[in-house]
Amino acid sequence: MVPLSDREVSPEIIAHCRAGDRDAIRVLYDTYKDRVYSVALYFFHGDESVAADVTQQVFLKLITGIAQFKGDAAFSTWLYRLVVNACQDMARRRKSAEWSTERSRLEEFPVGGSQEDDYARTEDARSVRDAVSELPPKLRMAVLLRYFDDLSYEQMAEVLHCSMGTVASRLSRGHKKLADRLKSLMGAKG
Amino acid sequence: MFRRHIPHQLAGLLDGELPLAEKKRVEDHLAVCGLCREEREQVRMGMSMLKHLPPAQAPDAIWNAIESAWPEQQQRSVAWFRQWFGQWLPAYAVLAVAAVAGIAYWTMVHRHERLWEVVEIHGSPGGGQEPIRKVAGVGPGDWIETDASSSARITVGQIGSVDVGPNARLRVVTTSPLEHRLTLERGEIHAKISAPPRLFFVETASATAEDLGCEYSLKTDVQGLGLLQVTLGWVSFQWKGIESLVPAGASCRTRPHEGPGVPYFDDAPEELRNALENLATEKFAGSSLDTILRVARVRDTLTLWHLLSRAGVPDRARIYDRMAALTPVPADVSRDKVLELDAKTLTRWKEALAWTW
Repeated sequence: MVPLSDREVSPEIIAHCRAGDRDAIRVLYDTYKDRVYSVALYFFHGDESVAADVTQQVFLKLITGIAQFKGDAAFSTWLYRLVVNACQDMARRRKSAEWSTERSRLEEFPVGGSQEDDYARTEDARSVRDAVSELPPKLRMAVLLRYFDDLSYEQMAEVLHCSMGTVASRLSRGHKKLADRLKSLMGAKG
Repeated sequence: MFRRHIPHQLAGLLDGELPLAEKKRVEDHLAVCGLCREEREQVRMGMSMLKHLPPAQAPDAIWNAIESAWPEQQQRSVAWFRQWFGQWLPAYAVLAVAAVAGIAYWTMVHRHERLWEVVEIHGSPGGGQEPIRKVAGVGPGDWIETDASSSARITVGQIGSVDVGPNARLRVVTTSPLEHRLTLERGEIHAKISAPPRLFFVETASATAEDLGCEYSLKTDVQGLGLLQVTLGWVSFQWKGIESLVPAGASCRTRPHEGPGVPYFDDAPEELRNALENLATEKFAGSSLDTILRVARVRDTLTLWHLLSRAGVPDRARIYDRMAALTPVPADVSRDKVLELDAKTLTRWKEALAWTW
């Protein structure tokens, strides 16, 4: 999994956010922004402007809707429901782009300059990104949620509005397709 | 011997998410099935390759954009309002069209889902029989009916609940994750919805209430004479191109063949509320508008703003002048544009007025 700290913010922070405390909302944003952005980025084939748009929409909805978060579920479950909804909405808006793989966009997808991004400079990293991008949307979203936020199957079932069995099935199929695709990509390069 | 392969459980096994009994069954199968063992390794490989996917860092510009849509003194409800009207109206229009196209897909995929449940029933809906207490799923096409001595509570998927009062009859229309919709034929409901806007809809004979993240009561008779009262957030009340936006603390009547009326705050002067009621029948022919303009407070610009688009030009000018006397008009809102009902100008003014609502 991705090494990320502060996986879940404290109930006190949530309470302050519900009261409209701007600093608390910034804490919340800082805690989750990279995970939300990463899910959106890889879901939309590396399109940074779309990922930024989705991330912005998610947090605006969070700010305006957090007063109604009752704490009867994990906060991350509630948040990722917003993420999935925002991705679905965006996918519908750019339907033709979404349902076919945007190879050109992937070619443009820049690798960063940090040490962590060294992986992305490798051919393997490109292959993985290509393979993730070619997964059907439902499998892709399941794989990304599991990978970037380590959501439990139970949480994912809530977020994706399906059963835990369906989550398990999507992840099994998704990872198998990834392996199949990577084998063929690597074989083609070899 | 016939063996069922276990391809769908492999990720669950590797992630340690299978219940013990299931885990044992899967492991027993793997011990004797080379095909599934091979597939397990493929799934494992797929999982391990993901470590090459670097997490990305959200650009600072995103927070800047959020801040610009969320000024310092802005209250949350107003923030949402401004965001929706100021920035996202075109996006929502596109989404609305996209959602319609997507509904068929979602309906097909989720047509067997029964996301709603009647979780409490009080009284004796059967008509004097024993009180019914049961948990029952309800889906599209199902009717829920209460008599004079009964009531019910329905959970709406995972986004909220609807309390159904006595003598009510309603039908579940859609229960997909993309849209929850019911038709209220008669009676009263109280809805509490905690979800992004425009997921929950209630249709009556004369108007449709679209949830914009809120809590409200709605009652109607079979002809469509009804009343919406909002206690939290906003509700968009619509019928054939007419839209009334009703914030917390305000109400809006709806009438057969006319649709939603003009919203008013529940604490508005009684004279104003009575005059608004008369205006609906007078159609601006009597003196009701004079009364409304005379007694309106700053907060009642909610009512006046809605009246602008329903009045003729001479009355519209009088309404504008009264609003301008009650509260400063933003520099970019011109009188001429308002009188022309320029959509952008009206929206801009509404954004400014919403601070006082």
